[in-house]
Amino acid sequence: MPSALDTNMRFKFSALALLLEVIIIVLFGLFVEYDSNNVSQNTIYPFFQDVHVMIFVGFGFLMTFLKKYGFSSVGINMLIAALGLQWGTLMQGFWHMKGGKISVDIKSMINADFSTATALISFGAVLGKTSPVQMLILTILEITIFACNEHLVTEILQATDVGASMTIHAFGAYFGLAVALVLYRPGLKNKHENEESTYHSDIFAMIGTLFLWLFWPSFNSAIAHDQDSRTKAIVNTYYSLAACTVVTFALSSLVDQRGKFSMVLIQNATLAGGVAVGTCADMSIYPFAAMCIGSIAGIISVLGFKFLTPFMASKLNIQDTCGVHNLHGLPGILGGIAGIIVTAVRKEIRATARFTPDMQAAALGSTIAIALAGGILTGGILKLPFLGQASDQNCFDDSVYWEVPEEEKLYEIHSNNHDEHSRFEATM
Amino acid sequence: MSSNYRNFRNSVPWLIFFLEAVFILLFCFLYSDDGVSGSNISYPAFQDVSHMVIFGLGFFLAFLKRYKFSSTGFNLLLIVLGVQWSVLMEGLLFFLFQNEKEDDLKSITKATVSMTTVVISSAAVLGKANPIQLIVMTIVEIAAFHLSRWINKMYLKIGDSVGMMHVHLFGAYFGLAVSPFFSEPSPNSEKNASTPESDLLSMLGTLFLWVFWPSFNSVLAVEEEKNTIIYNTYFALAVSAVTAFALSVLTTKDGKLRMKHIHSATLAGGVTVGYAAHSIWYPSIAMILGLLASVITVLGSHHLQRCLNSVLKIHDASGVHFTFGLPGVLGAIAHVILFVVKNWTDLQSQRYLIMTEIGTFCLTISVALISGFITGCILNLKLLKTIPVSKYCEDQFYWEFPHLAVGF
Repeated sequence: MPSALDTNMRFKFSALALLLEVIIIVLFGLFVEYDSNNVSQNTIYPFFQDVHVMIFVGFGFLMTFLKKYGFSSVGINMLIAALGLQWGTLMQGFWHMKGGKISVDIKSMINADFSTATALISFGAVLGKTSPVQMLILTILEITIFACNEHLVTEILQATDVGASMTIHAFGAYFGLAVALVLYRPGLKNKHENEESTYHSDIFAMIGTLFLWLFWPSFNSAIAHDQDSRTKAIVNTYYSLAACTVVTFALSSLVDQRGKFSMVLIQNATLAGGVAVGTCADMSIYPFAAMCIGSIAGIISVLGFKFLTPFMASKLNIQDTCGVHNLHGLPGILGGIAGIIVTAVRKEIRATARFTPDMQAAALGSTIAIALAGGILTGGILKLPFLGQASDQNCFDDSVYWEVPEEEKLYEIHSNNHDEHSRFEATM
Repeated sequence: MSSNYRNFRNSVPWLIFFLEAVFILLFCFLYSDDGVSGSNISYPAFQDVSHMVIFGLGFFLAFLKRYKFSSTGFNLLLIVLGVQWSVLMEGLLFFLFQNEKEDDLKSITKATVSMTTVVISSAAVLGKANPIQLIVMTIVEIAAFHLSRWINKMYLKIGDSVGMMHVHLFGAYFGLAVSPFFSEPSPNSEKNASTPESDLLSMLGTLFLWVFWPSFNSVLAVEEEKNTIIYNTYFALAVSAVTAFALSVLTTKDGKLRMKHIHSATLAGGVTVGYAAHSIWYPSIAMILGLLASVITVLGSHHLQRCLNSVLKIHDASGVHFTFGLPGVLGAIAHVILFVVKNWTDLQSQRYLIMTEIGTFCLTISVALISGFITGCILNLKLLKTIPVSKYCEDQFYWEFPHLAVGF
């Protein structure tokens, strides 16, 4: 077996992970201290909890739809999130240092969780085709680049992005797509036999969807500026999600020959409304406009899944496993455009700055450009041949990296009490 | 394709699009001012309720082995449609009667709580109704529920937060009134059963419901009563969960636990105490209520169901009568008894109030039964593409199955 496909990562992975953890601990020791003079932190602790659940449970279970890749989806998701939030605290902290120290509070914990979301979205794009070692490297690089881009958008360009449609969702999606482009596997051109779902794996993915759906209002309002804009963000996000879900069900039935619903679309496209309303969530756009944004997001997401993803896989050499382009990429751009329109139509002022459409447009452009450039660079590094990649036929399979318990045969599963039923099932 | 094959492509999408367009337009007219200000609903409590209704109830109903996509998926669809419709109904009532204007978060919370009625009713016909029927049922039921609440509020002067707790009663009896209009699936149909895996998913939903139930009961209450309600609900839930385990072992033949008992009986305490929680002044009373609720649920599902269902031709697919209906009635009766005990000294002067209390819950049940009966008639129209008995409890009828070959 050539060394490029050596998937035994006993020493590589543990050495890299321990090394990173040691570096992070040392950096924490040198730079990080508590922010003790802020008393109003407890009010946003529930928001932190919600975002935390979204990152660990929501994103993790959303990706469990592949029939033999559930362990990796939830497990590697947890690894990326746990590493990413430590690294994100440092990276975001370096831009806001006071007297050579990074002070942490609940708000910086929320921001650190946000930064891991970018890495998790990119993970969705390359799901099943990368090794844990590669994901560690991707996490570190992506969060570093993300922190720089976020600083550029919020501090230098003074643009608003409360729900982070651009800085997280569009960034993560296009970063992931660029990585997927570089790591293109011609061997997977014909659909891999494990790249599909089963009845059970789909229902597990639905757990993730519902958690994300329910907590999205918290995600979009967690770092809002004051109580008033927080309530606005919650209400706008809620209605956008509601409208998006309804439209998704309708379109899902419409685009199918026999008028049936598709679980893939329900799992993903229903969330597009939350992504799209992110940028302008805390502005006075009224539920009406939020519902319009949500409906449009649902439409482009469903159409993206139906037409764009197959096109990208066959013509553009981008294999997007989870369809992050349709869930995060396109709705993220839509959110950026909505932000441009809203700031052009209404005068929005926060604290000292007035938001202008030019700056919003610049933020959107720079985010996508940096994401694509960063993704191609990262992809180039991940292509190095000694990172424990699996061969083409071993993709989408947990057993390459995990100890998987012996699988029971189908007819044995229900043999205890439903003997005749299960035999009937097996013959179906 | 066989003759009884139904294609929903020409009906479901357009119905949904039409409703959503109407909602967006109405929102445009009704919510044109920037009425956002501080809300007296705490956002975490709203989250809990939303989580219960969408996630908890969705997975609670995922116990049929071939109906899990529909249980969770249609639940989400119905709730997002229903919440928008319910908010609009409230807004309409505000326009007509110039009530006090509520902030956005509160109206969403109220809408979410009222959507519990629809979820409970849809549980009664679980697996038997198609999406069109469910959507029509949602629209009618929410309108009927708001009507019943409005009558209670206008003529019987019942507080809003108490009136909202009629959701279980209303939902259960509405669903029971609808269910005779659907023919019963054959008793030995293998689709109408659960597997260990689906029972486990249902347990996931049950646990979330159990954990968040105190928030559900307290979210709309006035500030001073919130803590009392939370404590009472918590203790009632704890007792009913313990009792459920004990009774389940006691009633099964070989002394084993039955998952179905655990699912429904652990929640019965929360339903019962929801109605009266603000007027219970000792935790012990709440605990007794929780115990009684659990007894009713387990024994009811064990003995009563068989004779009742054959007599009334009800096929209660997921036992809503015993999980939500009877515990709700118990709660209402307990509420009246507690009121009598509290005002024992001057019972004569309070007679009118007692009659009102009894009147409210009788009214809720009768509105639910009547509107449920009418809805059942509507749902049986050929126009709504009723599905044949052989296709009951079958995801494959509504959902794409690209993975059919893998077995399911």
